[in-house]
Amino acid sequence: MNAVLAIALNTYRETVRDRVLYAFVFFAFVLTLAGILLGSISVGQDLRILEDLGLATIAFIGGIIAIFVGTSLVYKEIERRTIYLIVTKPIARWQFIAGKYFGLALCVFVVTLAMGSFLLATVYVVSPGHIINSLLLESLVFIYLELIFITAVATFFSTFATPVMSVVFTLAFWLIGHMGQSLRQLGHLSASTTVAKFFDAIYWLVPDLSRLTTVRADLMYGRQPDAELLFYLVSYTAAYIILLLSFATVVAERREYQ
Amino acid sequence: MISPVIVTEHLTKDHMSHFLRKRFRALDGLTLSVDRSETYGLIGLNGAGKTTTLKLLLGLLKPTSGSVSVLGSPGGAQQTLRKIGFLPESPHFYSYLTGAEFLDFSGKVFGLTKVECKERAADLLKMVSLTEAAKTAIGKYSKGMMQRLGIAQSLINDPEIIFWDEPTSGLDPIGRRDVRMILLKLKEQGKTIFLNSHLLPDVNEVCDRVGVLHRGRLVGTDKISSITGGGSYQDLEAYFLECISSSEVKV
Repeated sequence: MNAVLAIALNTYRETVRDRVLYAFVFFAFVLTLAGILLGSISVGQDLRILEDLGLATIAFIGGIIAIFVGTSLVYKEIERRTIYLIVTKPIARWQFIAGKYFGLALCVFVVTLAMGSFLLATVYVVSPGHIINSLLLESLVFIYLELIFITAVATFFSTFATPVMSVVFTLAFWLIGHMGQSLRQLGHLSASTTVAKFFDAIYWLVPDLSRLTTVRADLMYGRQPDAELLFYLVSYTAAYIILLLSFATVVAERREYQ
Repeated sequence: MISPVIVTEHLTKDHMSHFLRKRFRALDGLTLSVDRSETYGLIGLNGAGKTTTLKLLLGLLKPTSGSVSVLGSPGGAQQTLRKIGFLPESPHFYSYLTGAEFLDFSGKVFGLTKVECKERAADLLKMVSLTEAAKTAIGKYSKGMMQRLGIAQSLINDPEIIFWDEPTSGLDPIGRRDVRMILLKLKEQGKTIFLNSHLLPDVNEVCDRVGVLHRGRLVGTDKISSITGGGSYQDLEAYFLECISSSEVKV
């Protein structure tokens, strides 16, 4: 476990010291502040717009960070040959993959926390009397859950594909994950059974992320989803993350480092 | 009887080119052994297969055929990696980390405690003359400083076997002298050292035995004392050239 922690800490330090990260976070702050402007032109929905836009910004910017850092996570190690100093030490491949993943997940957590805190502070400044309920915080938790899933997808692709291809694959995975239900329905509207089966296969292959968005929307409208659904979503996402990291380990074990 | 700690038998490695997937042989039936506490130098021209040999010994590459054994285990075995130190050719590091942080990381993966890591890192940084740059980001290091840090990290676990690939490359004359001094000190401590180099004066000074690798094949091996008799590296150079030219004639 020491090795996993050491690699995670290394990855976290390396990622968090990259100035590009701060540019993204700054952009997120500006977008959140834009919510005040948009809210002011609405009819009594200024806080709702600020919160909605703020959460969407966190999900979007967090996703960009997870994809762009995650997709080069392992590939960059091979390309820059830093991996020679890692895999020649007593570090099993699963420890290497897990360490890289947890390091980036920690970085994404810190970024989400920073952006979330900024959103809460902005809401407080705009309306000091407004009571921030736990549902907003729960929404943040679900955003983070989605972000660590994307990080796992990006980590998996980075073990064998170039960063550009990994970005394309991860974005495709993310988008299809959100549109899986719609694609399946679209397939069933077709007269061809082959088309229907094809979209069915995509639906079953790619994780269904639309439920996470639905739960977030419910939370924002003050509807608390039942505990069973929340447990299901957390377990579902965790299972996919473990599966993706296991595949990444298999790839890392099989490959040679020239 | 001294038992060998590094053994390769008929070790062959084929690489595949990226374009057209053309196969070419990087290493061809290499059989060698290195005894405990011996300093072995593998010498050869660029592209002779020296780095490929090291990568096979460390498990970074898998043999096409033949076998590798380090301390009785196949190359890259976890229990073996605990007992070895590796310096790759022109080592690359995480640019945002400091030298001290990288050594701390290296110590942790070998299971050293926080105090042990700190003490060992301080000793090694002093040994490679990097104490003042310990808290500087590695991205700001010169090539020579990175080489020194590479040497330090390869010794963090007080290894039984040391694999160094071109340890003096990128170093100025003073740096090269320092590395030779470190090697001689490690020799005195009874470490087994496997060295890849094409700098014959360095090899002549520190190695007990050399192997000449040419086009993936071992074309000569002998004790340094038999080749130079403790004299100039020019005898080693003559031996090296003779091995290569006679192998060319055979081809």
